[in-house]
Amino acid sequence: MIKYLATASLLLAGAFLSTSLALAADPGITDTEIVIGDVEPLTGPPALLGVAASIGHKIAIAEANAAGGINGRKIKYVLEDDGYVTARTIQGVKKVTDVDKAFAMLGISGSGQSIAVMPLLEKAGIPTVIDVAPVKFLWEPPRKNVFVVGQSYEEGIIHLVNFLAEKNPGKKWGLITQDDDYGVTVRDGFDTVVKARKLNVVYSGNYKKGQQDFSSDMLQLKESGAEVFLAGGIIGENIAMMKELEKLNIKPVVGIFWPGRVEPVLKLMGPAGDGIYAVDYVEPFAGAAGKAFLEKAKGLLPEAEMKGINRYSMTGYAAAKVLISAIERCGKQPTWACTIAELEKTKNVETGIMAPISFGPGVRFSNQKLQIMQSEFSTLSFKPVN
Amino acid sequence: MRTGDFKQTYGELVTLVDSPPVWLWSAVLVAGLIAAPFVLNSYALSFLMIILITVVGTLGLNILTGYTGLISLGHVGFLVTGAYAYAVLVSKYQMHPLVGFLGAGVVPALASLIVGAPSLRLKGLYLAITTLAFSFIINTVILEARWLTNGARGISVQRPEIFGFSFDSDAAFTYLCLGFAVLTLFATLNIRRSRAGRAFVAIRDNDTAARVMGINLHAYKLFAFVTSAFITGLAGALYGIYLSFVSVEGFPFLLSIEALAILIVGGLGSALGAVLGTILIVLLPEATRFVFSLFSAQIDAVFTTGAQELKSMLYGLVIILFLRFQPRGLVGAWHDIRRMWVNWPLRY
Repeated sequence: MIKYLATASLLLAGAFLSTSLALAADPGITDTEIVIGDVEPLTGPPALLGVAASIGHKIAIAEANAAGGINGRKIKYVLEDDGYVTARTIQGVKKVTDVDKAFAMLGISGSGQSIAVMPLLEKAGIPTVIDVAPVKFLWEPPRKNVFVVGQSYEEGIIHLVNFLAEKNPGKKWGLITQDDDYGVTVRDGFDTVVKARKLNVVYSGNYKKGQQDFSSDMLQLKESGAEVFLAGGIIGENIAMMKELEKLNIKPVVGIFWPGRVEPVLKLMGPAGDGIYAVDYVEPFAGAAGKAFLEKAKGLLPEAEMKGINRYSMTGYAAAKVLISAIERCGKQPTWACTIAELEKTKNVETGIMAPISFGPGVRFSNQKLQIMQSEFSTLSFKPVN
Repeated sequence: MRTGDFKQTYGELVTLVDSPPVWLWSAVLVAGLIAAPFVLNSYALSFLMIILITVVGTLGLNILTGYTGLISLGHVGFLVTGAYAYAVLVSKYQMHPLVGFLGAGVVPALASLIVGAPSLRLKGLYLAITTLAFSFIINTVILEARWLTNGARGISVQRPEIFGFSFDSDAAFTYLCLGFAVLTLFATLNIRRSRAGRAFVAIRDNDTAARVMGINLHAYKLFAFVTSAFITGLAGALYGIYLSFVSVEGFPFLLSIEALAILIVGGLGSALGAVLGTILIVLLPEATRFVFSLFSAQIDAVFTTGAQELKSMLYGLVIILFLRFQPRGLVGAWHDIRRMWVNWPLRY
């Protein structure tokens, strides 16, 4: 009798164990589907970035699904709008992970928003590849499950200012930055080069986020006699600044940063936007790689979404590609642990639109190679500068 | 069954709750809220946290705008000051979280003296614009005082541990928010039935008459400002902890408008209204999305990818509808239903 009871208990324990192991399987994965989640600003002015990034993710996912999915499983993309509101980003991540049961995350919104959801992502342990706003806080210290594709804002500015300083020795400099985290990073990068190269800065301004009228700022810039100008705006601000400079009839050498390096901006700037220098780590659309990317997108996206493509679509595409290939390498039964291990093993993954992407043990930042490009109003494009 | 509402003593007039069933239902509600973290998933729990934090903030604004009739468009200034006070004390100077919460109340209260004093001669729109200016000034001060606030870079905030009990999990943090919400509710209800509360209402209804009756307008207006800012600052600290990262960007001006919308929809001058308004405004987009998702997956997708635009539209629509059809807000509607229930089948 005791023997029977012991056997029955063992069987029962085994059954419980197998059930609990099945229940403990990572979420977001079934025999036919893998769910990838994302939270982006899809409404309001920052939608220009968020929509484009999500389009990049969609291209990579559509490409993988067209090729049969990840080891036979189709990828389902779940996208949430946060409107660039931090509290909503947190809720969006919670919805995507808890309600939609995502297996992995892409994105995520702006720099402040990504920083805010970091504890949440870290606690959840979900494999995440960030591509929209690469700021140091996201990879320093490295977090086990969070990987960042891109280049730091600070490095980008240092690269651009160094380039402009070499090209324009002995000239007077002007700078204007936004009064937020982004602006502080731009200023820090600028100050690093100013100190190292002893640049002559004659104008240094700061504007309030959302400012539309730059007439007095640009008048001060003119009066200072600045010959090289670093416009630290994002989209609308840079357009307004260029228009003011055109009105004031001055044309300093202008440098802008990648958040503002989107082609529709050139159209809005008009001829005033011709010859602007920009720094970026993705290929310009005017080049062969950019054209090939657009061709690929045409076959995978509806016509309406093609209009939303900009540089952020490229960063989104690259991040999604890295994530998908890591899950793929895990074989038939991917888990979070395996995906994270495979992401860590990412070595020289080619995306065709930026330098090969690599991570490593304790390295969660891909540290992309930068390049300088210049705008051309006649073709409304940016072209690489050698 | 009660057939009317008869008050025979002054004690009955100022009693917090005059009916045992109200106590019973309140206890059931609190029990339900205590049980909620065990049954809700993390997404649903995030709504509960937001509701509880918003309840604290709107109850704070209700003292100034609802009870005293002083319109403030700049309450987000007190919210962000409270969040920064907590973040600086706890994250930067490693002080005890309780000291952080005290600072989160005291610093905005002191700031309210600065904005409150010049506002004593102002009313209506003029006061609203003054408070609005305050919220912009406070943002600039925070951004410029980099040595203290890290400027635009912001400050990371950990979930607190108080007397060995960690509030790190969502469930534990919900209890902390619940504790603050219940205490604030009791505090504001008690303020309302106190001498100060009656003075506030007298000032709101007719400040000249209140002055003739011997109410010191300056002192009570300042007291309303200080109390309101103290409570709003506490909400700011909780909101900062919820966001885990305090920066000026996380506290947009829209929060001030949202808080006023909550008071209007809930019913100005009523603590119950502030609670009901908060629940409605916070849950409205999600509830609408749920209802529409039952009919069409496409509409659900629109709510997912255009959530913020739809949210703004819904807020606008609800405010317009309430102002047109139920100016006394949700609390007014609740009183009508209660009266109908008691008097039915008679109308009065």
